[in-house]
Amino acid sequence: MERRKFIQSMFAATAVAAIATPTTIFAEEAKKKTAKKGPNDMTFDEAVKAITEGKEVKDSDKIKLTVPEIAENGAVVPVKVEVDYPMTEKESVTAIHILNTANGNARCADVMLTPANDKAYFATRVKLSKTQEVVALVALSDGSFIKAGKSVKVTIGGCG
Amino acid sequence: MAEARKAMIKIKPKKYKVGDTVKVDFIVIHPMDTGMQKDKKTGKIKPAHYIDNITFSFEGKPFTTMKVWESVSTNPYFSVNYKITGKGKITVDYTDNQGEKNSKSKKVKPKE
Repeated sequence: MERRKFIQSMFAATAVAAIATPTTIFAEEAKKKTAKKGPNDMTFDEAVKAITEGKEVKDSDKIKLTVPEIAENGAVVPVKVEVDYPMTEKESVTAIHILNTANGNARCADVMLTPANDKAYFATRVKLSKTQEVVALVALSDGSFIKAGKSVKVTIGGCG
Repeated sequence: MAEARKAMIKIKPKKYKVGDTVKVDFIVIHPMDTGMQKDKKTGKIKPAHYIDNITFSFEGKPFTTMKVWESVSTNPYFSVNYKITGKGKITVDYTDNQGEKNSKSKKVKPKE
């Protein structure tokens, strides 16, 4: 019996896969789902625009972003950001924004820092729905923005 | 629903002097529901419930403010740096999108 069931289920699985092979359909459906459901959804580009107000964002190696390469559980992904930039009254890091590229809401956390922090550092844990990039967008006191991104492979998504 | 949430502030390292830069960790027990998950018992979609604003302050002076969305994990953990300036109290105030307001504080005792 068990063997029969197993073979049957195998056939069923291949049949389903054959019907819905175009992966684009899957992707579109997933997009629609996330777009409909979330209460305050925002795509990555919109979020960047809202933060920078259209200003240029440069990639920089001053930001040290630490994320795991492979996250087995997408519900808990540790993120650590360190910025090699002075924190004085004259020039400082004013904000660290943690963004993701594929969740329904691209914003994870906005952290406003002051010179009392002494060193620009922030650590937290975020949820990632699937394999995507985590981006740290850093605002400097002179009004410019720098960013650094790293992709995280997620085996099990963390957004229910 | 109105019970106080469990929260914790940790200062790392444990021993510090005036002028040292320490890490202030804040952990709170909170579901951080995204508003997309189904309740396994009832089958209904759970409403979004997440922390949205956090303020770290020392003796009433805020030194770090955060805006947080639902993409942060359940039982969130936040860590920032802080330069010790003297004796006092670090207070963390946090609110969530359902109007809960809480705060937690910890004494700062630098060694001389």
